[in-house]
Order: sequence, then C-alpha cells, then structure tokens
Amino acid sequence: MNLINSSLRINSFHKYIRIQFSILFACVFLLSGCMGSEGTAGDNSKEKHISFLYNFSTNSLDPHVDSSYIPLRAGITETLVRLDEENLTIAPWLAESWEGEDGKHWTIKLREDVTFQNGKKMDALAVKASLERALQESVAIQNALKIDKIEADGYTLHISTKEPFPEFVSELVNPNVSIIDVTEEDIVNKPVGTGPFILKSFTPGSKLELERYDNYWDGASKLDSVTFAFNEDANARSLALTSGQVDIVYRPEVESLESLQAQGGIEVESTATFRVHQMTMNMERESMQDINVRRAVDALINRQEIVDTILLGYAEPAVGPFLPSLPFAPSYEKRETGSDQAVKYLEEAGYTLKNGIMQKDGEPLTFTLLTYSARADLPLIAQVFQSDAKQIGIEVDIRQIDTPEEYMASNRDWDLATYSNLTAPRGDAGYYLNATYHPTGALNFSGAHEPELTEIIDKLNQTVDQDERAALSEQAADFVYDHVINSFVLHPSTIVAYNDNKVKNWVTTRSEYYMITNELDVK
Amino acid sequence: MIRILSRKFLEVLFFMLFITFVSFLFVRLAPGDPVLTILNVDELSVSQEQVEALKEEMGFNKPLLIQYGHWLLNFIQLDFGESYVTGQPVMDMILMGLPATIELAAGSLIVMLAVSIPLGSLSALYRNSWIDQVSRILSILGAAIPSFWLGLIFIDLFGVRFNWLPTMGRDGFVSLILPSLTLGLAISSVYVRLLRSSLLDSLSQEFIRAARARGLSEPRIFLSHAFRHSLPPVITVFGVSLGSLIGGVVVIEVLFAYPGIGKLVVDSIRQRDYPLIQGYILIMAIIVFIVNTCVDLSYRYLDPEMKLKERGTN
Repeated sequence: MNLINSSLRINSFHKYIRIQFSILFACVFLLSGCMGSEGTAGDNSKEKHISFLYNFSTNSLDPHVDSSYIPLRAGITETLVRLDEENLTIAPWLAESWEGEDGKHWTIKLREDVTFQNGKKMDALAVKASLERALQESVAIQNALKIDKIEADGYTLHISTKEPFPEFVSELVNPNVSIIDVTEEDIVNKPVGTGPFILKSFTPGSKLELERYDNYWDGASKLDSVTFAFNEDANARSLALTSGQVDIVYRPEVESLESLQAQGGIEVESTATFRVHQMTMNMERESMQDINVRRAVDALINRQEIVDTILLGYAEPAVGPFLPSLPFAPSYEKRETGSDQAVKYLEEAGYTLKNGIMQKDGEPLTFTLLTYSARADLPLIAQVFQSDAKQIGIEVDIRQIDTPEEYMASNRDWDLATYSNLTAPRGDAGYYLNATYHPTGALNFSGAHEPELTEIIDKLNQTVDQDERAALSEQAADFVYDHVINSFVLHPSTIVAYNDNKVKNWVTTRSEYYMITNELDVK
Repeated sequence: MIRILSRKFLEVLFFMLFITFVSFLFVRLAPGDPVLTILNVDELSVSQEQVEALKEEMGFNKPLLIQYGHWLLNFIQLDFGESYVTGQPVMDMILMGLPATIELAAGSLIVMLAVSIPLGSLSALYRNSWIDQVSRILSILGAAIPSFWLGLIFIDLFGVRFNWLPTMGRDGFVSLILPSLTLGLAISSVYVRLLRSSLLDSLSQEFIRAARARGLSEPRIFLSHAFRHSLPPVITVFGVSLGSLIGGVVVIEVLFAYPGIGKLVVDSIRQRDYPLIQGYILIMAIIVFIVNTCVDLSYRYLDPEMKLKERGTN
C-alpha cells in the first residue's frame, strides 16, 4: 500500500514538473517575441549618421600616447603636416608652410583660422604647449623628433633640433604629434583637438560617439554624428556589416569578402599599404654570407602564389622594400625566379643536389626559419617557402616565436625570418633605412654592416633637399636589392567594406591615418 | 566564525605574497620586455643604444629580487604603478574594465544555472528517458563546440538573420544577452552532467527513503533534501573553475567587443606591460580567494553532516 502511495506521489510530482516547464518555455517564447518586435538595428532619426567599425580597440584616447591613433583616425585631432595620399609627399595641414634649410633650425608658419573644439584659438603658444606635452609623455616621440628648443611667436614656431635632422617635418605627420588643447583636464578620455568632430562620449575598449564641430576651419562636416566602434574579431566585423549595425568596416575577414560582395549594396575597397612582408636574412650565418645562397632564397619565394593563395589577391607582390608608387622607389630590373634559378644560384655557391639533398662538402643545406603568429599571413608564407625549398632538397626548420624583435636581436641561431615592416609610414624612407640597415638600428636583424650602405644612410641623415633625399633613398634601396640583404615578399592591402547605398565619399588611404574626415557623407 | 575568518585572513596574506612573487618571476623570466613597445619600434626609428638606455632607466637590468622588492614596496603603499604603454594608473584601468567582466561572468552564471539546474534535475528524475538522452547529447555538444564558434553562430542567427539583438558593444542589458548566452551555454555542459550524477546519488540515499516514510511531499523531498544534498560537489567544482571562467571571458570579450579586463590583460601580456599584468593577477587572486571562501562557508549550510561534525568537535 505504502509503495503504491509513494509511486502515486512521485507521478504527481513529475506532472507538476512538466507543468512548471511548460510555463517556463511559454515565457521564453513570449520574451523572444517581444525582443523581435523591438528591433535593435533600426535608427529612425533623420540625422546624418555613420557607424564605423575599426579593427583595434583602445582604452586611452590620449593622442600623444595612444598607439592605435584613434583620435586622429576619428577626426578629433590633426597634425601640423599630413601625408598627401595622391602624391605620397608631405602636405600642409595645421601648418601653412615651413622651412629649415640647415636641417636643424625650423620655422613653421601656422594657419591663423584654426580653433580648438572648445572655441580657443590655435596659436603658436598652444601648439608649443601641445608639442611639449607630447615630448614629456612619450619617450618614443622624444627620440623621433629630437627637439631641443621650441619658441612661439604669434602664429610662427621656431624649433631647433638637437642635431641636423632633415626628416623632422615628415616626423610631424605622426599621429602622436597631434595638436590638442593641453589646458583641458581629461585628455585621456576627452581630448580636445582641431578636427571636424568633437568627442561626445568614450567607452574605453568599446566605442566613441562623435558630433560635428561646426566651426571646423576646413569646412564643417556634412555628417551630424559618427559612431567609431571597435571590434577585434574579423568575423564579427563582417557580420556587423551584414546585419546593418554598422556602415563601414575596416579590415573585414578576407574569406567573407566574396559573400559580402554577392550580397549587393556592399562595396569592397582595397589599397596596398606602406607595409612590406619580408624574408629577413641573418647575414651572420655562414651559409647566408654567400650572396648566391641569398639569391637562391630570393628566387625560391613564389610571390604571386603567396599573394593569390594566402592573401586571396589582396596584396601586391613586392620587389623592393618601398611601395612602387612612392617617389623614392627604384624601378627594378626583372630577376629570374623559380626553383631552377635557385638551383643555379646554389650551384654557383658550390652546392650540388645529390640523392635529393642540396649539399656542399657532404654537409646538407638547412635553414632555420623564424615566424610568429601576431601577423597571421607570416606563418603561412613560411610554410609555402618550406614546401618550395623541399623541392630542391633544402630542409627548412620552421620555429614559431613569440616576440620577434626581442628574439632576433638577442639570438643569432636562425637563418631566415618572416617579418613585417612599415617602410615609409610618414612618406620618408629615413625611418626604415636607419632602423633596418644602419649598424646602430634597433631592427637591423640581418646584422647588415655594409660600409657603402651605411655611408648612403648617413648622408641621407644630413640631406634636407627632398629630391636629393629621394635619390639617396633610391640608392640605398638599390643596394639592398643588389646585395639581397633581405628579400621582399609582398605589400599587404588594407581592405574596407561599406554600405554603398548609404556611404558617400569614403576614401581608403594607404597611410591608414585618415579615416573619418569632413568630406565623409551619406547618400 | 571570527576564528575562521581571521585564519582565512592570514591565509590570504600569505597567499597574496606567494602569488605576487611567483607571477612576478614568471612574467619577468618570459622573453621580451616592454621597451620596444614603449619606443614604438614598428613605426619610429630607434637605435640599439636608445633601447639599452631605456632598459637601464626603467630598471630592467637590475636583479629580479630588487625589482620585486621595489614593486612590493609600492604595493604596500597601495601604489600599483602605471601602465608602461598608456601611462594610466593600473588600478584605474582595471577598475574601468572590471564591471564589464563581472557583468559578463554574472550573466553567464545565470544562463548556466538556468540551463543546468532544470536539465540536470530532469535528467536525474527521468533517468534514461528521452530527456536524459537529449541532455547528454547537448552536454557533449556544449563541451565540444568552441565558444567563439558558438558566438559566431549566435551573432549570425540573432544579429544578422532575425535582427533581434546587437552583435557587439556594451549598451545595456540587451547587449549582454548574446555574450552571456554563449559563455553560459559553453560552461553549463559540465554542470548538467555533474548535477545529474550528484542528484542520482542523493536520491538513492537512506535519508530520502526515510523522508518518504515520514510522508513528506515529493517536491519537498526533492528540493529540501535531494537537491540540497547534491549541491556541495557542484559548488566545489564551480569554485575551482571560476578562474578558468574569468579566463574564458577573454574570447567572448573579443568576439562581442565587450570592454572587460580579459582583453586588457591579453594585450598587456603581449606588450609585456608588467605593472598591468601584476595588478590583474592580484585582483583575480583576490576574487578567486573570496569566491572560494564563500564556497567553503556555504558547505556549512548545505551539508548538515558537516555542521554536526563541527559541533561534535567543539
């Protein structure tokens, strides 16, 4: 009897549970129905607004420190000079003109019609204060500008550098030298600059809300407001554009581009950047000291295949370090490439292919190739090279490292390294040549100590005239190419996808500095 | 209770000292330092001399023990230092992102509880029935599917196709739903099976039979006796895995652009921003310690046997 009672009670309890869950599921469905009717992506207001999604996030908007350059990219701040994206030369911006014939004493004339977004005039004193703050806040800027003294006089600045420094003006393109009103209290969260957009709110790591600055000196923006959001996941960025939550997406996922384009109403733009993916050669290794071995490595790199298969066509095969459209990029003679040519070079170096192994004096030719995952293309380039080298009997040992700069500088047990460099970020070759090929350069991982090349770079460091500088830069690039100090693989492209039915006047720049401008509009 | 708390306090002091020392050693012994990031070598021309000079100036060439002593001295004065990369006070940076991470962790826990309690209970009550089989399959799927993939599926489904929910950012409750759902479902698979087996164990105990013999109602037997008795093992696993839950938040924060501290710390590790890494480890250690203490204390209320034992020893 007890057993029957207990069984009945258990059954009624199970019935009770079923009813409870039915009610719960019904509630969930009702709730989801309510959410659907609310909608999320719709923006019913009639104001001209654009949502932009960028691929890096930042927690600080301090224009002098933030290495993601968001204040400049979002149109809050501007620099004294800018990069002319068409001619790839330095152009006036907040500065009207400049001169510095000896490369040490510079006179910069400022525009007189510029005001900060709080209404204050941007005169030489304000610019001096801003430059001094940048120098104080950033040791990198101290090193980059080499400023000794700044004097302000009305709308003219007199700047002396510690040593003759001809690329001084091009260094002012750096977004970390943005001009801001330093008297403002909260520069980290609310910098006040001279750009076309005022920062209304900032959610660290998430987004900026921007509003048009009506008294912008170069003509107020046609937009009322802009949302500048961050998302570091490429897939999620592409989906955000598809869902209509954003209008412009910076660097969408390459694999999603085909489906984005097929969707209709979405425009995909790409342009080659100043970056080069290169094969760095460690010239301190015995085998790499032979130029024919370096030539063989260079010949083995199948650039077009890498561009087509790894970058899906969104890159330009590279010959030298500089983008061909730069004024100081040499025009190179076409070199024979391919595995047959590589074998020829190696034979000239005394190697022979025996039993499928490339060897010299019985010693097989092997390379240790470093790569790192921070740039996803690089490990894949290493694998393609490894496979191509195997075809001619060269064993390549790929070693994954974490911090390439640190590893390559302190360890010399490698032969090759896939590395990525910006070669002319501010329209001048001085940075790249000094850092990468001068014996004192912090990025001279190949260990280049070529007196002739060092002399060219030293001369470049003393030359003010732009034509002469271009000629010297070209000479240095030619030397690097002829002596195969490094081998250059490709210039990756910047890809931007946007809603073509809405966005007007978007320009994908090669420098990647200028994004939200006063010209940007909606249709 | 006071005795327990004061013992815990002493434990926490020792634990903090130990964890800061070990983490300091690990972080500093890992290759790389923040000098190249500070000098922005990727874009600005820097000489090896300047790199060495900055290393010297920042004290990276000093013996590790001296560097640790310096950090500890500042820490005792509640000075966590400033980020090498942004120049902002470390505590400000952490406290800025912490609410978002806690919000996300709490949201995920609610989802986890909402999924695992009913599913685990039903699986135990209807053992080997279709609901048990479905729950088993869902648990296996939940454990096998990576959370970032699940997140992308949800974004595609609820953000793109149905357009119900925002796919990213932190704009109130609605933007918390998808990240919480993703993380909550990913972690609930373990707890569904754990709760099921723990409940089955409880339901077969003598005291359940005794309760039935006393004529207690089935809901009361289930909730007040069987369910309560099955909780300690589940809570123990939860306490232990809280650290990994907070670690798992990173992937979700990146995917949904949710501005928490997970992403902050990943960047700081990549950039070798030592003060920020140390600050994060310390805060996380405190949180994990508090949760584990709460877990320990909860046993006294959930497990009558333990309370009786304690009384017996007193």
